[in-house]
Amino acid sequence: MSDHLAPLDSDGAPAEAMGPLAPSTRRGLLRMLAAAGLIAPAAALATAGVAEAAGDPQGDVAILNYALTLEYLQASFYTEVERINAVTGEAAKLARVVGDHERAHVRALRRVLGGRAVARPQFDFHGATESESAFVRTAVAFEDLGVAAYKGQAPRITSPSYLSFALSIHAVEARHAAWIRRIAGVVPAQSAFDQPATAAHVVAVVDSTHFIVGPTQADGMPGFTG
Amino acid sequence: MLSGAGLLAGGILVGGIGAPALGSGSRLGDAEILNFALEMEELQAALYAQALQHAGLTGELAQFARIVGAHERAHVAFLRDTLGSRAKPAPAFDFGDAVTNSDRFAVTARTLEDLGVAALDGQAASLTKLSLASVAAIVSVEARHAAWIRDLLGELPAPSASNPAQPAAQVRAAIRRTGFVKGTV
Repeated sequence: MSDHLAPLDSDGAPAEAMGPLAPSTRRGLLRMLAAAGLIAPAAALATAGVAEAAGDPQGDVAILNYALTLEYLQASFYTEVERINAVTGEAAKLARVVGDHERAHVRALRRVLGGRAVARPQFDFHGATESESAFVRTAVAFEDLGVAAYKGQAPRITSPSYLSFALSIHAVEARHAAWIRRIAGVVPAQSAFDQPATAAHVVAVVDSTHFIVGPTQADGMPGFTG
Repeated sequence: MLSGAGLLAGGILVGGIGAPALGSGSRLGDAEILNFALEMEELQAALYAQALQHAGLTGELAQFARIVGAHERAHVAFLRDTLGSRAKPAPAFDFGDAVTNSDRFAVTARTLEDLGVAALDGQAASLTKLSLASVAAIVSVEARHAAWIRDLLGELPAPSASNPAQPAAQVRAAIRRTGFVKGTV
């Protein structure tokens, strides 16, 4: 670890870290979010890859399902990193600890949502779990995105207990982001104010990764070890 | 240890769902909460400013103090601007060896950053939506600070899956115990 960490353009991080945009079906995540009522399907499909289709959540359940989708993505990512075992040292420790947290978030959200919880989609991380450098870049992007996603929804949550719950996760995602950024050699806290992200922006970024490759599985959480 | 922490955190998460947002049962208004946040930020900003002058900080710890100190000053300015004439004046501080000894400074910074996150999260659900958006922009930065200094100290940056929130009375008691504030908290 060097004495001085480099700055990183946090706005550019997800796109850079997650690779170039390519033609995409967008179907899996868009269907899920549309089904959850978080984005309008027509608007989202018409503006593929564009962030201006602002999220229009219709209630706390939709927001919690959106959070669950992001937690599925993160939990599956860290679980696969641990299983493939191509990451060493501090990064491997982070994958274990943060993976535990993301799996706990999935369990907690599923418990809160009960029968209304969306199922876990199928993922293909396209090598991002198979080398340390790809893992670190992707994890930085995921965690910063997770912070912005929770922040974007917090003022829209109506139930005070759900809000407290979401904020307790929001702060943990920020801790994850700082930790992985330090491992990546970049400043853990880039700016005095973290910006929120709309659901549409988050969808566009996640979609650009092609990590979600299939619709939700019928039985919920196949292969999920958490 | 890790799986144990995960289980415990899961229990807290699930247990926290049905609980009221504020343990104390008293809901503070926006101005009172933002003044409470301002006190925390003044305390932190003063700690970093004085430590940078007197603690002989070097390497990444000095970088941490510079960057985080600038963030806390920005938070103070933002909250003062938001509160306008309702903003309370900054109290006087005496940090003792926390601003003259590098190791004491690091431990103190960790304590105050963790406390700051817990304090803001403890009040956020009581805020109106507009104030909540502002506080949310600050609280995740405080969480990043906390993780950074914990990592520098060799502690787990994110010790649990659920960041605990603390009611205002508990936070005020914790601040009083430090003896840093010379005046009323």
